[in-house]
Amino acid sequence: MGKKFKKRAAWGMVFFIVLLALSGCSGAKETNTPPSTKPTDTPKVEESEKPAEEPKISGDFEIQYFVGGYGDAWWKEVIGEFQEKYPDLKIKQSAGSQINEQMKPRWIQGNPPDVVYIDGAGSNETQMVQDDQLMEITDWVKQANNVDGENLVSNLIAAPQDFGGKNYTIPLVFGSWGTFYDASLFEDKGWTVPQDWESFMATSEQIKASGINPYIHTGKYPYYIVGGLLNSGFVAENGDNPQILKDQEAAKEGSFNNDAVKKTLSKLVDMRDKGYFDNASYGMNHTDSQMLFLQHKDAMIPNGLWLENEMSKDVPAGFKFGFIPSVMQNAGGKFIAIPYTSNIAIAKKAKNPDAAKAFIEFIFTKQAAVRWAEITGALMNVKADLESSGASNVVKKAMNYFNGSDTIVAPVFKLNADLEQAQNDATIALLQKTITPDEWIDRMEKAAAKAR
Amino acid sequence: MNVLSTKKPLLYLSKSIVRLILLLWTIIVIYPVLWTFLTSLKDNQQVMLGKPWDLPTLFRFGNYADVWSRAHFGDYFFNSIMVTVGSIAVSMILAATTAYILARYTFRGRGILYFIYVASMMIPTTLGLIPLFFLLSDLHLSNSLFGLMLVYSVGTIGILPFAIFFLVGFYKTLPRELEEAATIDGSSNYGIFFRIMLPLSKPGLVTVGIMNALTVWNEYIMATVLINDPEKYTVPVGIAIMQAEMQYRTEWGPLFAGLAISMIPVILMYVLYQRQITGGLTAGALKG
Amino acid sequence: MISIKKKMSMTSVWSRRLFILSFLLPTLALFALFTIYPLIRGLYLSFFDWSGGSETMNFIGVNNYKELFSDSIIPTAIKNDYFLIFWKVILIMLLATFFAVALTRLRLKEYGFYRIIFFFPNIISVVVIGVLWSFIYNPSLGFLNAFLSLFTKNPIEINWLGSPNLAIWSLLPPSVWAGIGFYMLLIIASILGIPNSLYEAASIDGANEWKQFTGVTLPLIWEQFKTSIIHIVITTLNGSFIIVKLMTDGGPDNQTQVLGYYLYQMGFKQYHLSYGATIGVLILVLSLITTLLINRILHRDTIEM
Repeated sequence: MGKKFKKRAAWGMVFFIVLLALSGCSGAKETNTPPSTKPTDTPKVEESEKPAEEPKISGDFEIQYFVGGYGDAWWKEVIGEFQEKYPDLKIKQSAGSQINEQMKPRWIQGNPPDVVYIDGAGSNETQMVQDDQLMEITDWVKQANNVDGENLVSNLIAAPQDFGGKNYTIPLVFGSWGTFYDASLFEDKGWTVPQDWESFMATSEQIKASGINPYIHTGKYPYYIVGGLLNSGFVAENGDNPQILKDQEAAKEGSFNNDAVKKTLSKLVDMRDKGYFDNASYGMNHTDSQMLFLQHKDAMIPNGLWLENEMSKDVPAGFKFGFIPSVMQNAGGKFIAIPYTSNIAIAKKAKNPDAAKAFIEFIFTKQAAVRWAEITGALMNVKADLESSGASNVVKKAMNYFNGSDTIVAPVFKLNADLEQAQNDATIALLQKTITPDEWIDRMEKAAAKAR
Repeated sequence: MNVLSTKKPLLYLSKSIVRLILLLWTIIVIYPVLWTFLTSLKDNQQVMLGKPWDLPTLFRFGNYADVWSRAHFGDYFFNSIMVTVGSIAVSMILAATTAYILARYTFRGRGILYFIYVASMMIPTTLGLIPLFFLLSDLHLSNSLFGLMLVYSVGTIGILPFAIFFLVGFYKTLPRELEEAATIDGSSNYGIFFRIMLPLSKPGLVTVGIMNALTVWNEYIMATVLINDPEKYTVPVGIAIMQAEMQYRTEWGPLFAGLAISMIPVILMYVLYQRQITGGLTAGALKG
Repeated sequence: MISIKKKMSMTSVWSRRLFILSFLLPTLALFALFTIYPLIRGLYLSFFDWSGGSETMNFIGVNNYKELFSDSIIPTAIKNDYFLIFWKVILIMLLATFFAVALTRLRLKEYGFYRIIFFFPNIISVVVIGVLWSFIYNPSLGFLNAFLSLFTKNPIEINWLGSPNLAIWSLLPPSVWAGIGFYMLLIIASILGIPNSLYEAASIDGANEWKQFTGVTLPLIWEQFKTSIIHIVITTLNGSFIIVKLMTDGGPDNQTQVLGYYLYQMGFKQYHLSYGATIGVLILVLSLITTLLINRILHRDTIEM
């Protein structure tokens, strides 16, 4: 190659620069909007304001739903029933564990499905609202009734998330982060179930002394420990005021640099330095870490209410799940429940918005909620009597916490994707001693400043 | 011979050491594959509590039935084979013609053209991902295996430029005398290429074809984004999705059964055609 | 040639041109549409602020490029990329050359057997390799810790993919494991092309195996060597993305972050597709520079046989 190559390289560079310049010119002429269909949402809103006359539901209708820990049995069932009710409808289900990535190009292209259930990796409702992908349903959702004639919103456990006074989504799944403990192991060894930070640390010491790892978490996906440990600490140390989480969501200055955060981090560091974290946590995915917990190798794990159902096949005989909403509160403090929701929404460019609304009215019923609990073992975001249902004990127990006066339930919140990534990275780094709490705070404040 | 015989014990010793190292590497290569088959027959309890090298306590062939019924490996293989064969055929024809001209003819812009092809090997696949998606939907080829095949043939995964780069080198090594003789005999340019040069370059075509087929066969990111329908998945996409779904259910046995199923036809093909594959690679590389 | 040229009439000049064009244009047209055009679109994107989800995007000039220089993860990713390149080149070339020389020069009768076995990892899908090696490294279920524990009193519980110091090293074995066979075959091919007479001459001169290697083999396979190294560089910068995605997601805390995965993370997980495109441009530029540099460093006068 040698000299010739150099000469060619020079020529090639020139060529590339020319191409670049050309593309700049041609690019300027191009419209900045990728191919799109005409906006259709405005007239539809008016239509739905008079719900007395039922619009004819027919044509094509597409539902996108993520299939993860809850499986797809519930979806298949309700969609089947919905199809029976509207036999003229041609329903397409776009579902799977990778569906968010697979459907993404279609959203960009302006050719989305009608209804989307937003859950799993690669989905973020805040981002979808920012990207103007979802239909604003503020007025519709207020007066919408479900198929049983009940008001839809007043049936909900968690209200639709507020985006600057507007609504775009309705929470479909409701749950809470918390600390799960190995109840049978605790009974055998006579350990006391932690009620607050002091007793948590005391119990952890006992557990460690007995040769078992006190605490494992899902290191590959650090949002488990953030949801199950950190966030409740922020609220507890903020005088039980969950506003701090909403401030962090809004990336407000100082929302990560304050005493509440500092105290929480120092608790975390204390736990780390006493060696209560299982070293196997790092780099491990959720099912692997949950397996170790089930095998009595670790006594506690931060997780969400789906855990029991997710692992149902692998629960060893005699294993009992214990659940406490939080361990970060100081002695005498209240439990802090950090909720999570997974939402359902209508696409702004839905081609069949009438069917989409009919579908939402169809699924937000008590009956569907009971079926959800029975099939998935978790909670659908509709107030329904679950005592008699097949919902798991953990879910029922969690319900008792939420309804009791000793628990503060934080509002639904979701950090933006950049902040979430930064928090995940920084938290793992803190636990691995590669950064100090001050550096954690510094990183987060910088990330928040960038997000503003 | 005399020189050699005096050093024989030393040669023998070094040969044994070399053999030992080769044997060690053989184990390192084969063991993970054996392990896959072992684990594919275990249940969760044994994966969790037993040693990784234990034989399965009860052979759970059900893992295979389970994963076979859920993932459609038959489809995946068919799709992967179609896409691989198609894109290799298309890219080879396009590359061979261009490479022949670049190697044999002088004209203005030849150097630049050659450089552009060579430099384009360095374009990151992912950079072209979203633009290619839009391009395909403009051409009404989104979510189609034919569209994916075109992207593989001439898109940013770089098999076309690699073939051109390789074949230009190869054509340069072929003797000119044959062409000159044929020209004097009155053969047309096309005749020379198709009747003389193309057959002569077969070893080169085989080598670069195999190398590119491996790239296409393993390609994952383009196929994930450009194909939506489960019945159109290629093998890597099918496995990645299976892995993600198994993760939600902690099914190690079926997961490994899936990995094993995906390997079996490849191993069979390889055993049957290894002479052509490894032999082909060495034969063409000799000149290229 | 000259005599032929003289005989050329106007029509034969045209038929020659037509022939050249008919062979070049179809390829160039498709290549332009499917490679150059997406590349330009990618470059074009890098001057915008676009999440990758909305239907509108804002022109922001070179802000993405400024961001590239202030982003503290970029240097980590570059460092990791070159870490992988450096060690992959060293380990793969060393082992591949050793195997190639051993298999050809020592005239082992098992030559065919080893050639088949060593190439085998190359035909397994990278996705399978990633999943497989994640399990080999698994701290509690994995093969590696269980194997090492055979030699120690207490069970080994090393967290290969999770600890900040080990994670990037742990990405090397699967890459080397999967890569060696291919380069070994290329080197074998070059060695087989060396005329035996050269070795005979060397051995009559009293050169031992090592001297023959440095004196005969190495100079004659040097071109192949260089091509292989450049191939490793390009495929690593472009392709380490998959192994990272399957094994670590760039973690813990970006300790295994590489440019290819960072492009994917920014573009598809953190909703900055245009910034992802900017990272893509960086990868392209780095690949070009590295290739040119390696070409220069490894330049030797080619020895004709």
